[in-house]
Amino acid sequence: MRYLLYFLRKHYIYILFLVLEVISLLLLFNNNAYQNSALTYASNGFAGTVLNVSSNISEYFSLRRVNRILAEDNAKLHSTRSEAFYKADTNSFYQHDTLYKLEYRYIAARVISNSTNKRNNFIMLNKGHRQGIENHMGVIMGDRIVGQVVSVSDHFCWVMSLLNKDSRISGKFRKNNQLVNIEWNGGSYHIGDVKEIPKHVVIHKGDTIITSGNSDIFPEGLLIGTIEDFTIAQEENFNYASIRFATDFNSLSFVEVLIDLMRKEKEDLKNSFKTIEK
Amino acid sequence: MTIIYLRNIARFVFLVLFQVLILNNIQFSGFINPYFYIYFILLLPFETPPWLLLLSSFVLGITLDAFTHTFGLNAAACVLMAFARPFVINAISTGTEFMIGHSPSLRNQGLKWFAYYSIILVLVHHFALFFLEIFRFTEFFQTLLRALLSSLFTLLLVFIAEYLSIPREKSSSSR
Repeated sequence: MRYLLYFLRKHYIYILFLVLEVISLLLLFNNNAYQNSALTYASNGFAGTVLNVSSNISEYFSLRRVNRILAEDNAKLHSTRSEAFYKADTNSFYQHDTLYKLEYRYIAARVISNSTNKRNNFIMLNKGHRQGIENHMGVIMGDRIVGQVVSVSDHFCWVMSLLNKDSRISGKFRKNNQLVNIEWNGGSYHIGDVKEIPKHVVIHKGDTIITSGNSDIFPEGLLIGTIEDFTIAQEENFNYASIRFATDFNSLSFVEVLIDLMRKEKEDLKNSFKTIEK
Repeated sequence: MTIIYLRNIARFVFLVLFQVLILNNIQFSGFINPYFYIYFILLLPFETPPWLLLLSSFVLGITLDAFTHTFGLNAAACVLMAFARPFVINAISTGTEFMIGHSPSLRNQGLKWFAYYSIILVLVHHFALFFLEIFRFTEFFQTLLRALLSSLFTLLLVFIAEYLSIPREKSSSSR
C-alpha cells in the first residue's frame, strides 16, 4: 500500500497525462454517444451565447448580399403562386385535395458560427429544441443543400456541414436519374467528389447533380452541384468525377431547417421491416 | 504571485476569443488553419507545476472544442503538447536560461532557444491535431501538408507576438 502511494506520487504526472488523453480521445471517438449529454448541452449554450454576439455584429457586413439572395428567392416564389398562372378554365373551384399532403415544414435560422477551412466543418444555428429542431434534420439554403443537424440544445443546434469527412450525400444525375454518392475530401470548399458513377453513364462537364431522395434527410430534387471534371477509370467498375457545389459554404447567413412531418411514419415503417428481418 | 495568475487568465480569454472569432473564420485555400491559441501553453511560467500545466491545457483545448463542435480534438493535442513541454525545455536548455517568475520568451531566452522551443511544440500540437482530425491514412500527404503549412503560420503569429511584446517588457521587468 505504501509502495503504491509512493509509486502514485512519483509518477502522478504520467498518470494525469494518460487520464486526460484518454478522456479527450473517448470524447473524440464517441462523439455521437454524447450528443444529448449534459456536456453538449452546457457547451452549446456557452459557445452559442458568445458566437451569437459576434454574429450579431458581423451580419451587418453581409446585408447587401443577403438582400440579393432574398430578393431572388422571393421572385422564384412569386412565380409559383396561383396568381402567376394563366387561368383558362373559369369554372374551376377550390377543392380540399387528398392527393397532396404537407410533408415538409421549413424553419428559418441564422448561422452564428461557420467554418470551411477545417477537415471537419460544423455550422451553429440560432434555433434549438424550443423551436422544434431535432437531430438528423436536413438543412438547406433555398433549393441547395447545406448539411444535417447533429446536436441540439434548447436554443442552438450544430449542423454537420457537407464539408465533413462523415458527410455522405446520396445524389443522382438530373438527366437520367443515375444514383451516385457525394463526399468531400478536404481542400477547396467549392469542390467535392462524386463516387461510384456506373460505367455506362456518359458524363459531361456541367451535368447537374441533385439529391436522390433515398436518404431520410433530404427530399428529392435539391441542388447539390455541377460536374467540374471527370476521370474514366480503366480497371475499376466505377468512374469518378469532381463536383462544384451549388452552395457557397463560406457565405452562409440564413438557412432553413427541414422538418419532415412524416418522419415518424417512415421510421416506424423501417423498424417494422427490421423486426421481420430478425 | 496573484498578478501572474491574473495575467495568464486574461491571456487565456483573449487568445480563445481571438482564435474563435477571428482566426477560425479566415479562409486560405482550405490548407492553412493557424492555431495561435496554443501561445498560451508556450507562455506559461517555467515554474508552473506539471499538474497545472496539463490541466490548464486540457481546459484550453476543451474550450476551443466547444466552439467548433469537435469534442476532445483540441484537448488531446493540447494535453500532448503540455506533456511534451518540460521534456523539450530540459532537452534544449543549458541551465542558465531560467529566471524565477518568468515565462519563456524571445527576449529572455534568446532567438535560438525560443525558436527551438516554439517550433518543436507547435509541430507536436499541429501534427497531433491534424492527424486525429482525419484519422485515416488515405489522405496522409494531404494532412502532412496541412499540418506543415498551418504550423508555419502559427509560428509566424507567435514570432510577431513576441516581437510586439519586446518594447512593453522593457518597462515592466517581469511578466
